[in-house]
Amino acid sequence: MKKRVWLSILVILSVSLLTFSPSAFAKPLKVGFIDAYSGPASVYSNDVVDAFKLEMDKVNAAGGIQGRQVEILKRDSKFKVDLSLGHAKEMIMRENVDILAGTISSSVALAISNLALKEKIPFFVTFAKSQAITAEKGHRYVFGIAENTTMAGKAAAAVMAKKPYKKYWIAGDDYEYGHAIAESTWEMIKKINPAAELMNQTWWKVGEPDFTPYITAISSAKPDMVILALGGRNLVPFLKAAKATGFADRFPIWTHTATELSNLRALGKDAPLNTVGTSNYHFYYPETPANENFVKEFEAAYQRKPAVGALYGYLAARYIIEGYQKAGKVDSEKLIDAIEGMTVDSPVGKVTLRAYDHQALLPMFVGVTASDPAYPDFLIAKDIVTVPGEELVLSVEEVKKLRGK
Amino acid sequence: MENLTLNALFQQILIGLSRTTILFMVASGLTLVLGVLRIPNVFHGSLYMIGAFLTYTIAQYFGFGTTGFWVGLAVAPLLVALISIAIERGILRTLYDREHLMLLLFTFSISMVLSDAVKFVWGAKFRSMSVPPFFEGAVDILGMPFPRYNLFLLCLGPFLAFGLWFLTNKTKIGKISRAASVDRDMVDAIGINVSLVFASVFIIGCYLAGLGGALIAPMQNITQGMDHDIIIEAFLIVIIGGLGNIWGALLGALIFGLTSSIGILIWPQFSIVLPYIAVITVLSFRPNGLLKSVW
Repeated sequence: MKKRVWLSILVILSVSLLTFSPSAFAKPLKVGFIDAYSGPASVYSNDVVDAFKLEMDKVNAAGGIQGRQVEILKRDSKFKVDLSLGHAKEMIMRENVDILAGTISSSVALAISNLALKEKIPFFVTFAKSQAITAEKGHRYVFGIAENTTMAGKAAAAVMAKKPYKKYWIAGDDYEYGHAIAESTWEMIKKINPAAELMNQTWWKVGEPDFTPYITAISSAKPDMVILALGGRNLVPFLKAAKATGFADRFPIWTHTATELSNLRALGKDAPLNTVGTSNYHFYYPETPANENFVKEFEAAYQRKPAVGALYGYLAARYIIEGYQKAGKVDSEKLIDAIEGMTVDSPVGKVTLRAYDHQALLPMFVGVTASDPAYPDFLIAKDIVTVPGEELVLSVEEVKKLRGK
Repeated sequence: MENLTLNALFQQILIGLSRTTILFMVASGLTLVLGVLRIPNVFHGSLYMIGAFLTYTIAQYFGFGTTGFWVGLAVAPLLVALISIAIERGILRTLYDREHLMLLLFTFSISMVLSDAVKFVWGAKFRSMSVPPFFEGAVDILGMPFPRYNLFLLCLGPFLAFGLWFLTNKTKIGKISRAASVDRDMVDAIGINVSLVFASVFIIGCYLAGLGGALIAPMQNITQGMDHDIIIEAFLIVIIGGLGNIWGALLGALIFGLTSSIGILIWPQFSIVLPYIAVITVLSFRPNGLLKSVW
């Protein structure tokens, strides 16, 4: 008799648990971010996680994903591969994260990507720009949400090669990113304009303190166009030197992300005019309701304009939210199947995640720095040309070849 | 090599000389302390970094105009000198008799403390200030644009060299310190307060580091890590010039500054390694440096 009472209580309890407010009892859905949250790179990485959180807050307020609240965990990568791998492992083993995301450093991203493959955890790469992430080293569990060096180089080349420049000079940071972006740009320029001629190349170390001797040496060669392969740490001081020495007035220059808000805000009045730059996102362009709305929400939450990282954070959030919706349950394999080839709306229009290599086909905006009375503190990009993402990525055949298939 | 005209070469030499000014300024301070106090001062680079950060903060206070730049240039190195007085009187004074290795480790640890202090005060973000409006842009020298700020540095170089010559040869403190660097006990024995002389030389050396930092501030990112970059170069310069020898530091700075700037023009792909090749070449022929080492 006693046994039956206990049993019925148990049955009633479990039935009520199943029917009433599952979200109150379901464990949270955890997303683990690993990125450089201290040091100079935090200018870029904070936007990613802030925009991601903004989307997830909305979903949480509406009841979460499949009734589960989304919880965001953050770990500082400090640009160190071993440390980041430790964080990733800790979040997988102890926190049981469902998804990993981050990071700005390509070497960190590649290392975590490797771990994600082994542990079968989806990993959204939200800033790193190495092509290898989705091409050579791509696999089922990794997603490239940012542009890569190939895409940026091709976009810039498509615009530059149409101009009457003949004599090019390449200068940049002597590390993987610098060489990769210079190579892809130059390859594309040669393809479009075979008459283009590479006069010479100059490479300096990352963190080079003084650019003046390089600038005068390039000036004396009088190139038609200077391709600058500059990464985060050198970009701002080089552009500053280019303005202070009058270099930017005498020669047209292109450098990836020269028109990006994070950099222009850091440069302030030291930013040179008429510098050609490429970026995935501008808060003032395209002038669509979707973008305006995004900027309004971001500004209301964080009291600053969103830079390019915010777009990556937003996109990662949308793919995850809509992916789980389509999958119908919280399951990594089903999520991946659902996201492959998925198109989401974004501030820059519809963005598709290519099914084969998981690369987001982001459009690239090529623009020229100019001043605008509406923004007295920093320059913005003008004369913007939009190059669709489909034209910028490697073809599926090229990716297959790189993967050795 | 169509770009290798004489004009371009001449201009590149001038650029190299303007860079030499900064290198000489920092290296001469280092070699002065090394020669007189026998201290391999690793935190010399930290003082250079602090000089740059202070210049930024002072210039910011004045709204980054011409005034801000000049006030920063005048005040920041003095503040650096004040910091160095505190370190010298507070800690270093009691350690002069220790071995060189101990002093090396000791100044290294101070450099770590100072670099954390900079992180604490200014944060990890890099700063950037511009050259004052008067120095913006370039002037034409032999038909080539030459940045004005570098011209200013170029003009400072000879004054600095003259000032140091005057200090070491014509002033009492210079003469005593030269004597002390040859035989410290003898100077002590004839009743001169060596401790005070050491303190003043140390402060002058540190002031030069601060001044170098203040002058470089508008030209580059003011950031963590600039202390390490400069201290490595400064030590190399001091070593190829001859330890403790100011004119050796000048020679070393010239070699370092010119090989890098000319290398950039002639051999741009490999210019990074040229100054170091020059260092190796010098040391393989003259292992004790070009000029007489006082050690």
